[in-house]
Amino acid sequence: MSFRVKVFLSITASVVIAVWLVAWIVSTLVTRSFERQDTQRTQTLVTQFHREFERRGVEVARRIEAVANSDAVQQIAVNLNSPRFDTSRYFDQAQALAREQSLDFLEIVGPDGRIISSAEWPARFGYQESWLTPAVDWKGQGVFLKRIELADGSALGLITVRSVKAGDGALYVAGGQRLDQEFLTTLPIPDGMHVRLNTDFEGSTSPLIQEVRRQPRELARTSADATLTAIPLLGRDHQLLAILLVENSRAELASLRSYIQATAWAVGGGGVLLGLLLSLWTASRVTRPLRQLTASVRQVAGGQWDTRASIESNDEVGQLARDFNQMTEQLAEQRDRMIQAERVAAWRELARRLAHELKNPLFPLQITVENMQRARQTSPEQFDEVFRESTTTLLSELGNLKAIIGRFSDFAKMPAPELEPIDLNQIVREVVQLFDAQMHADGRPPIEANLLLNAHLPPVPADPEQIRRALSNLILNALDAMPQGGTLSISTDSLDRKVSLEVSDSGEGLTEEECERLFTPYYTTKQHGTGLGLAIVQSVVSDHKGTIAVHSQPGKGTTFRIELTT
Amino acid sequence: MRRTAWAWLALSSLLPASARAATRPHYGGTLAVELSTAFTTLESADFPAGLAQPIAETMLRLNSRGEVEPWLAVAWQADADRRRWRFTLRTKVAFHDGEPLTGPSAAPLLLVALKKTYPDVTITAGGQALVIRSDRAMPDLLSDLANARTAIIRRSESNPSIGTGPFRVTGWEPGRKLMLTAFDDYWGGRPFLDAVAINMASTRANGDVFDVPFSATRRILAERTRLWSSPVEELVALVGTGVQPAALKAIALAIDREPLVNALTQRRGEAAFGLLPEWLSGYAFLFRTAPDAGRARQAAALLRLGTLTLSYAVSDSFARAVAERISLNARDAGINLQPTPNANGNLRLVRWRVESANVAVELQRLAGLLGVSETPALDAANPTALYEAERALLETQRVIPLVYLPVIYGMSPRVHGSDAGFALRLESLWVDP
Repeated sequence: MSFRVKVFLSITASVVIAVWLVAWIVSTLVTRSFERQDTQRTQTLVTQFHREFERRGVEVARRIEAVANSDAVQQIAVNLNSPRFDTSRYFDQAQALAREQSLDFLEIVGPDGRIISSAEWPARFGYQESWLTPAVDWKGQGVFLKRIELADGSALGLITVRSVKAGDGALYVAGGQRLDQEFLTTLPIPDGMHVRLNTDFEGSTSPLIQEVRRQPRELARTSADATLTAIPLLGRDHQLLAILLVENSRAELASLRSYIQATAWAVGGGGVLLGLLLSLWTASRVTRPLRQLTASVRQVAGGQWDTRASIESNDEVGQLARDFNQMTEQLAEQRDRMIQAERVAAWRELARRLAHELKNPLFPLQITVENMQRARQTSPEQFDEVFRESTTTLLSELGNLKAIIGRFSDFAKMPAPELEPIDLNQIVREVVQLFDAQMHADGRPPIEANLLLNAHLPPVPADPEQIRRALSNLILNALDAMPQGGTLSISTDSLDRKVSLEVSDSGEGLTEEECERLFTPYYTTKQHGTGLGLAIVQSVVSDHKGTIAVHSQPGKGTTFRIELTT
Repeated sequence: MRRTAWAWLALSSLLPASARAATRPHYGGTLAVELSTAFTTLESADFPAGLAQPIAETMLRLNSRGEVEPWLAVAWQADADRRRWRFTLRTKVAFHDGEPLTGPSAAPLLLVALKKTYPDVTITAGGQALVIRSDRAMPDLLSDLANARTAIIRRSESNPSIGTGPFRVTGWEPGRKLMLTAFDDYWGGRPFLDAVAINMASTRANGDVFDVPFSATRRILAERTRLWSSPVEELVALVGTGVQPAALKAIALAIDREPLVNALTQRRGEAAFGLLPEWLSGYAFLFRTAPDAGRARQAAALLRLGTLTLSYAVSDSFARAVAERISLNARDAGINLQPTPNANGNLRLVRWRVESANVAVELQRLAGLLGVSETPALDAANPTALYEAERALLETQRVIPLVYLPVIYGMSPRVHGSDAGFALRLESLWVDP
């Protein structure tokens, strides 16, 4: 994950979490406030309902009292015990009285419980009104709720009863006003609040109503849309007659929540955008110098030692760039010094080699010339003999000098490879065969050649002569490493778009330091080596865009591994 | 008609004593009539029940005993097969526009009215004579000619109704008001009243004459207002439409008519067990039954009836009260009968009015009401056949008679001259100055 992405995610996460937290806190506080307000509004409405209920009750009681004291009722009461009393004459009396007193329900009931006149159901005259019994102090009962039967169903009424003395018995005047939705319209109902009077709840499937029916008590349920409070309305015998449903709309809350949510989304979105911009800005401020520094490091690693990082600030990154530049300068200086030292060392080594190589033939030349001088002075008679022998020696040693100089000349004149597809296995077999006689020469411990060649090796683009020369040098090097005899192992293998060639000996092996310097020109571990063999091998491999490596441990032999691209 | 004559004698007992003890009549004054109902044509048939149409007259009319007596026609003769009738018109009778009533002037007006009953009827006229012919016998022609539907009436551009009656139209606002003025040239003599103002759809009950609902009759009596009552002439009945006969029978058993009569009609009506009232048929008492809620309950239990509906006219408060009472009776028998205003219920509460004193004619009308298409020709002189015919109609189990109703008008103390009869005749009334 890039630094820019990390910065972006960090800023975005911070903003989003902060916004969400604020939105949640605000939303929670608003919800609680609304719920408190809902409860207060509901309680206020219920209080007003009960107050209106009581007020209507007083009014109903007053009107029923007026009916009971009316001339019409008093006349019925007076005539009730007359043998000629005809109740049918008064069957519609209650309607007139109910109209006068603005009563929805009014019944005049005789001492026997039979209806003399009914305003709400005029046709019901003569029928028994079973709930009106003389054993009750009706005035003491006050006003109560009652379900009133009607011709087309039933209705809920605010009812009171008065008894009028009629001879030995009593005439009952029972009536009141309808308690329905219209009753509720007299209540000051705030906006967003709805009040319903549920009187037909027998078939209701509402869980709230079912619960109130099971146990009549005030209950409230909150949904996403509204808070619904159910208040049971009980009758005279505490039976459930109606349920007052107060619905407080939560639309305003939902709207506010929605607004908070939208604001949170907007702020969050802005935060994300801000995070993006900040990350871009931060990246441009922070990661660009770092990326430039990284590019500079890569350039330095690629060998461009003169690369310098630009210093644009005085912060940590600027300091890092300054340190990098200082380090690069130091490394370049050290490298230059090392190159100079290596050059000097190489020249010194070359001089030492040349001196060593040239000194060996020169010493016999000097001795031979001195022998010839001495023989000319002391034994002239033997001078010719000495001269002949000495000149032979001189020519031989001069030949050696010429050979030495030729090898140095060959190394200097390494030509560019002429690439052609070659069969590496075939070249291995041919070269090994050239050394067969040397490996089994008389007077020398035998060396066994062990070839492990991959039969499916692909052709390799290479210069066959230079490959032969490199392989010969490696084999020669291996033979020199096994003066006591041993095993020469040569293997080839196919890699991914590469082939490998390994040459191993079972000799004494090399130290780590020797391994490091092994390919240095004119460096040799052998007493009579020129130090150019492995340098030539490395040069050939390098010219073929290949790699060469050496693996060795003291006492366990040495392995050279060449990899060439196919 | 003799078999019903005794019933008409009873009608005279309905006359208030004050009417008989009225002071001497005198001319003048305007009578204010307040009606809770309204009519939109001046056809005699559309005129309010119990109020005789004073503009047009019929050839014949029923007397207080229900007998046909001469009116515009003073004499008549019929052939033996009753397909040709010859009438002689009263002389010195004039229409309100002055045109004398003669055979040629009456014939086209009468022909239009009679064509509704006798499609092939023809009328020839000459002088004061009218000859009415048909290819089939017309035994009930006299009753038909006494029916208000055959009143002789015509229209002009300036007058919507020109007849020969005691009052002529001087103002007409359909459904609202009718102004009548005494016709000075009336052949029977000028009426006592100078004018009559009829206000319709009125909510006032303080005119000189006004219609009275049954429920108010006792209170009005208490206020010393006189009442005029017609004989019971309207049948209130339940007619079943698509109800199985057994269900109708169960409902009939459940109905207690006594409260209907005692309370809802305030004892002005009569319990109806037959279709025609006793005064008309003379055999109605034979259909009398007693309510039996127990049997009704058993029958209903066997039938397993669902909810039935009983429809009634929404504007008819009396019908509503009857429907609700019947619903209660039915509920006692375990039958759920739901009163429904103005709906096509399983049962309908209908009002049917007697239009003539001819039992055979009325039974034919009832058969039409009940949808009984094939009814045999009835001989009005054969009471047994009439009884059997009415019983057959009842046994169709399509109808349950409930109560017969009279028409009642209240009259202020200043109004005098009301007489017993099928209808209140304005020309016989006079008012105190």
